[in-house]
Amino acid sequence: MTTPTSSRTVGLQLPVALGLFVITGAEVLITYTHPAVGTLLVALLGLAVIGAVLMLRYFMGMRNERSLLFWSLFPYLIFAMLMLDHIWADAHRVVQLHVPLR
Amino acid sequence: MSEPSAVMEASPFGIQSKKLAMWLFIIADAATFGAMLFAYGYLRVANPDWPRPFLFSPTILDSIVMTAVLLVSCVTMVGAVSAARGGQVAAAVRWMWATLLLGVAFTVLHLLEWSSMIGEGWRPGVNPTGGPVQFGASYFSITGLSLGHVIAGVVALVVVARKFARGRLDAGHVETTGLYWQFVTLVWLFVFPLVYLLNAR
Repeated sequence: MTTPTSSRTVGLQLPVALGLFVITGAEVLITYTHPAVGTLLVALLGLAVIGAVLMLRYFMGMRNERSLLFWSLFPYLIFAMLMLDHIWADAHRVVQLHVPLR
Repeated sequence: MSEPSAVMEASPFGIQSKKLAMWLFIIADAATFGAMLFAYGYLRVANPDWPRPFLFSPTILDSIVMTAVLLVSCVTMVGAVSAARGGQVAAAVRWMWATLLLGVAFTVLHLLEWSSMIGEGWRPGVNPTGGPVQFGASYFSITGLSLGHVIAGVVALVVVARKFARGRLDAGHVETTGLYWQFVTLVWLFVFPLVYLLNAR
């Protein structure tokens, strides 16, 4: 584990890991300020997305890949997530309205 | 007369096909986790009497330690990929074993936490406090799927580390395994705040 190449790479990635841990700390701090549950959900989700972007760029090496890879994969994932958001919201509304499910 | 060989062309993405396959798997898997977390998010926000069973000590503290373990394992996995690319087989294998041990530590901590929850009476369809039973279902399904991914990653690391050490796999396999491992941590970055912190007392 003391080889120069891998040790140097690990050293370069340590600040990213530290940054992600700071984000985790921020999430814990926000939680214990006891905001409304909707506000807390949005805040935690926002910080998790920032963490995910850091992970993708540095640990998963997306910043070194051709941009075509990103544009071929992620717009569809984001679209799917947005559709899920609509579907679950509708499903929840149907349950709340007590619409008979036939 | 022999058949003409197929015309091969370079990948437009400039990566090996196994790495592209892993990216496609990751995208599909992210959608699976996304579906579960969206469903959970709606249930959580819509239920005013949703249980909040997690105390800061021990549960939140334990899950912070679990987060730290996974983040350190990401760094060791980066070391493994870098060493493998540089042709340093022994170093790559050592970094992979370090990652694997951290994965095992995470799994043990997670199972201890599950054991504590089960000991308190929580089950996928049982709420010992008498509130909504969906908490147990969403907690065990989301964390179980995440834990299953970690265990699969540990098994993959054992196989890849052993075969890479014997020269039966190349650096591309280490890189692809590394990609999967980083994704497992990425998933935890959503599971920790949404499942644990959102239900903290």
